[in-house]
Amino acid sequence: MRIAAGVDVGSTQTKAVVMSDNGGVEIVARALVDTGANVQRAAERAFDTCCREAGIHTGNVGFVVGTGYGRYKIAFGNTQMTEITCHAKGASFLCPGTRTVIDMGGQDSKAISVGANGEVLDFVMNDKCAAGTGRFLANSAEVMGISLEEVGPLSLQAKHPVKIATVCTVFVESDILSYLAQGKTAEDILGGVHIAIAKRTLSLVRRLNLEPEITMTGGVARNIGMVQALEQLIGRKMQVSPDAQFIGAVGAALFALEKLDQSFESGIWRSDHAVSGGH
Amino acid sequence: MTEKKEYRGSIHQQQKDLMLAWYEQLDHAAITGDPPTVSMMISGNCVELLEGFGAVPIYPEVNALQLAIRHQSLDPILAAEDLGYAADNCAYVKADIGCILKGITPTGGRLPTPTLILCNFVGCNTYLKWFEHLAKLQQAPLYVIDVPFMRADEPSRSDVDYVVKQLQETVKTLEQLTGRKFDHDRFRQAVECSSRSEELWSQIKHLARRSPSPFDAYFDAITLMGPLYVYRGKPEGVEFFEVALAELQAKVDAGQGVYEKEHFRVVMEGPPPYPYFRTFRDMFAKWQACAVASTYSTVGGLWEFGFRHDPENPFESVAMHMIAQNVTNRNYLQRYEQIRRYVEEWNADGVIIHFVKSCRLFSAGQGDMRDYFAKQLGVPTLYIESDLEDPRYFAEAQTRNRIDAFFESLEHAKATLSTRV
Repeated sequence: MRIAAGVDVGSTQTKAVVMSDNGGVEIVARALVDTGANVQRAAERAFDTCCREAGIHTGNVGFVVGTGYGRYKIAFGNTQMTEITCHAKGASFLCPGTRTVIDMGGQDSKAISVGANGEVLDFVMNDKCAAGTGRFLANSAEVMGISLEEVGPLSLQAKHPVKIATVCTVFVESDILSYLAQGKTAEDILGGVHIAIAKRTLSLVRRLNLEPEITMTGGVARNIGMVQALEQLIGRKMQVSPDAQFIGAVGAALFALEKLDQSFESGIWRSDHAVSGGH
Repeated sequence: MTEKKEYRGSIHQQQKDLMLAWYEQLDHAAITGDPPTVSMMISGNCVELLEGFGAVPIYPEVNALQLAIRHQSLDPILAAEDLGYAADNCAYVKADIGCILKGITPTGGRLPTPTLILCNFVGCNTYLKWFEHLAKLQQAPLYVIDVPFMRADEPSRSDVDYVVKQLQETVKTLEQLTGRKFDHDRFRQAVECSSRSEELWSQIKHLARRSPSPFDAYFDAITLMGPLYVYRGKPEGVEFFEVALAELQAKVDAGQGVYEKEHFRVVMEGPPPYPYFRTFRDMFAKWQACAVASTYSTVGGLWEFGFRHDPENPFESVAMHMIAQNVTNRNYLQRYEQIRRYVEEWNADGVIIHFVKSCRLFSAGQGDMRDYFAKQLGVPTLYIESDLEDPRYFAEAQTRNRIDAFFESLEHAKATLSTRV
C-alpha cells in the first residue's frame, strides 16, 4: 500500500491530508490548523496531527508534496507545487467532471479552467486586492460582531439585501457601520455583503470560459450563503465537496501518490524537469 | 531546481563601458557646457538628428530605470510625492523629478541642464506633462514634437510631412540654442550608421528563433538596448553590434543556449519590474524558460520586421521611425499581430503579459490582450501585475505563485502531449 501526504499552507489556515493507494485511492485522514506567524511550525503541526489521525508514523509516509503560499517553508516536504495546480487536481478527484474551479481562500480568489485529466488549462487570480476573498467576509463579520460560521446562514435570511458600494476590504467596514446606524438588519447587511463578494468574484471568473461542471473550493466554500449567492449569479449549481477546504492538500497528496507509483507514465512527473524542489 | 547559469559574454562588459562613457560625456557637459545635450523620450527617439549638432542625448527613462535596478528609486519617488505627485502618477516621472529635486544621478556623476528638452511624446501623453515639469525645474527650453498615433496600418503622407516639418523646426531651434550650424552630412552619416546597427540588431533578434536561443530576448536584450538608443547612429554602435552578432552567432554554432537545457520558450509583453529585476529573472531561470522575443525590446524601435533608417531620405525615415516603427506608437491590433508573429515564427510555448501600474498607456487593454491570446488563439498566456519603477507594487510571493503555476501547467501539457505521441 502506498501512503502519501499533501500539506497546503494557506494564508489563514494550514491543511494536511494523508492518502493511500491500495488498489483504490482514498483519503485516510485530514488535519486543519491556524497558520499563524510560524509557517514552518504550522505545517509540522498539521502534518503530525494528520498522521496521528491516520494512525501512522510520519516516517511511513512515502512522499509529501507542499502547496500554498507557505510551501517553501515545509522543511519535511519532498517537493512543492502551486495550489493552482493542486486545486485542479484535487477538484477533479473529489468532484469528477470538474471543468472550472472557483477557489475562494483567505487572501486569494481564483478561477481555474481544468482539463479532463485534472490539468490546469488556464487560470486567473485577484491581484493586489483582497476584495472577493475570505478576508472581505471575515472583516465584515468582525465589524458586526458575528462569528464567521454564522454569516452565511444569516445572509440567506435577508429580505432586502443592502447595496454595498465598495469592493474594498477595508472600506467595507464604514459601509457596514453606516447601514447599522440606519437601522438595517444584520441579515440584510450580510445579504448585501455576500452579493458584493459574489459579483466581484464573478467579474474575475468570467475572464475564463465558465464551463460546467463548476466546483467551488477553498475555505469560503463552507459558507452556504456565498455558495448560493454565486450560484444565483452564475445561473447554475456548483459542486461543493465536504472536503472543499482540503482540496489543495488532496491535490498535493494525489501528486505525491503518483510520484510513488513508478509505473506512472503520464502527467507532470514524467518530464525530467517536473516540478522543482526549491527556489 | 535553481538555474542561474546565464550568458555573460564580452558584450556585457562592452555595454557597461559604453554606457559609462556616455555618462562621463554628460558629466563633462554638466561642467563645461560641451557637448550640447538634449533630453528625449526613448520611444521613437530621433538620436540621429542630434548627431548633426554633435549633441548627446539624455534619457530620463534610462536614468529612472538605472536607479530602480540599483534599488535606489524609492527615495526620489517619495520626494516627488512629498511635492504633490499622486500615488497614481507614473513612477518613472516621480523618480526622475525626485532625482532633480534631490540632486541624485544613477552613477553619482553630474547631469547637465539640457540645451533643449525635446518632447517627442510617442504614444505617451504623460510625457508632455513630465517634460513640461522638467523644463520648469531645470529652466531649460522645451520643444514638443507632436507625433500622430498610428490610426491605421500605415501612416498617411500628411502624417509623415507633419513630423518632418517639426523635425526641421527642431533643427532650427537647436541651431539657435547651440550656435552651431546643422551638419547635414553628419546627420546622413548617422542615419547610415543607424541602418547598419539596426540590420545587425535585427539579425541578433532573429538568432532567438533558433532552439536553443543563444540569448534571452527580454532580460539580455535590455542589456543591449542601452547602446541601441545612445550609440546606434555612431560607428561605436555599429562596432558594438558587430561584436554582439559574432558572439551570439558563435553560441548558435556551438549549440549553446541561455540554460543548459532550454525548457520553455516564451514571449514577454511589457517592461520588467526593474526594482526586482534579478528576482524576476530568477523566477524564469528556475524553469529554464527563455524569452525568445519581447515587445519591450521594440519600444525604441521595431526593426526585426524589416524597417531601416534610410540615408537617402534621412528626415522621412526618422519621421517614419517615430510614427510607425516603435511599439509604443503603434495601435493595439498591430501589437497583437507583433506578438502573434513572435509566437508563431519564434516558436514560443506561451505569452507572459506584465502589466505595469505606472504606464496605463502601455498597459491599458492587456486584459483583453490576454483573452485574445488565451481564448481566441489558444496560446497559454499569463497575466501578472507590478510596476517598472516603484518597488512598492511588487508582491514577490504572488508573482512567483503565478509564474510557477503557469509553468506547471505548461509542463503538464507537454507531458500529456508527449504521452499521446
